[in-house]
Amino acid sequence: MLSSLSHIRIAGLALSTGSVTRDFIADGLALGLERAQLERISQTIGMKERRVAAAGITALDLCEDAARRLLDEMGIDASAIDAVIFVTQTPDHSQPNNSSLLHGRLGLSKSTAAFDLAMGCSGWVYGLHQAALLCAHGGAARVLLCAGDTLSRLTNPLDRAADPLFGDAGSATLIEKTGHAPAIHFSLEADGSGAKSICVPAGGARLPASLSTKQELKDADGNTHHAENLQMNGSEVFNFTLREVPGSVGSVLKMAGWTPMQADALILHQANRFMVSTIGKKCGFAPEKTPMDSVETFGNQSSASIPCTLIHAFGGPLQEKTLKIVACGYGVGLSWGSVALELGPIVIAPLQSFPKL
Amino acid sequence: MSKSETELWSALQADVDGLMGPGITLETRLETLPQWDSLAILLVITHFEQAHGLVLSGKQIRACKTGRDLLQFIPR
Repeated sequence: MLSSLSHIRIAGLALSTGSVTRDFIADGLALGLERAQLERISQTIGMKERRVAAAGITALDLCEDAARRLLDEMGIDASAIDAVIFVTQTPDHSQPNNSSLLHGRLGLSKSTAAFDLAMGCSGWVYGLHQAALLCAHGGAARVLLCAGDTLSRLTNPLDRAADPLFGDAGSATLIEKTGHAPAIHFSLEADGSGAKSICVPAGGARLPASLSTKQELKDADGNTHHAENLQMNGSEVFNFTLREVPGSVGSVLKMAGWTPMQADALILHQANRFMVSTIGKKCGFAPEKTPMDSVETFGNQSSASIPCTLIHAFGGPLQEKTLKIVACGYGVGLSWGSVALELGPIVIAPLQSFPKL
Repeated sequence: MSKSETELWSALQADVDGLMGPGITLETRLETLPQWDSLAILLVITHFEQAHGLVLSGKQIRACKTGRDLLQFIPR
């Protein structure tokens, strides 16, 4: 689906990461893996460190911290928010949803709408589209989009294909209606036939959690996991991104009337450095326009990775000037979404951990 | 002019560290190589996409027994 929406702007961004730093090689050595093999993976894929949530901290806590800091930085009262959208696949409860819990924690008005989007790595782009729709056609003046996950809790430490990848984070993005802003262009797509490529099989209504869903099994690659763990077919996911992301990015570039040379940056979901580098090249963007450092510091942060990379790589310039940004999120669903927008100057709350160290 | 099998194999080895090493030939059984793992398969996918414009699935690559089987995907 292609969509262009006018008279909307992103006004501010904030991100809170988990407070515990995990080192890829040290973790692998602790599990008895060989240093040479760990270094080979670290150098090829680009895995160094990641930040995970401390015990008891959830995506709701991380997003609340980001939202509070953003609203404080912008000097906006919570009563001025017309809707809150929470993008997560790791909610506090199956009921009520995270957006309602955040609504209560922030003391939002009863006239403020609140709903969740159960999406992963493409979720920030999908959420931004929903927020932009509410501002363009839904009567909202300001929408708070929170996107975050604690995927590190879902992986099995003995699954070396998935466990070392994920960091935990929560983001807050404030979208507002404005009289004069260039259109924002979206491409949103999905392929449910690949749904099992990234999957947590148990814990939902189809297969409730039980003693049997905690039984660990070793797969063909020697990775161990059980049915309540996040399981990922890495080669199929990589294949799908190679196949779909360039076309999606090309669509929004065409809608915006830009070439890769004219755009200032391509912000790809930070799955890992290798994927970002390979896909960026295939999309026709120079490596210096495709930031890929944040994943080596913070890990794959699911729906929070695009806002994290915007802040990490362009936080300074975005507070002072306008940049032509193309962003693409891709992952669980399978689903993927791209956006092309002129971004900045915007308010950015400093990137920090929660609890603050 | 199309590349020879040796040239195609050398190019693949240069991109996939798991296929490099003394005594590794087109006939070597891939399953016997210690570094023929999920990372090597990722690198093979990338090589075929970048060098030949082919997007192969992990399943297609895992079904290959030798290096020669891998090269069969290249139209010649």
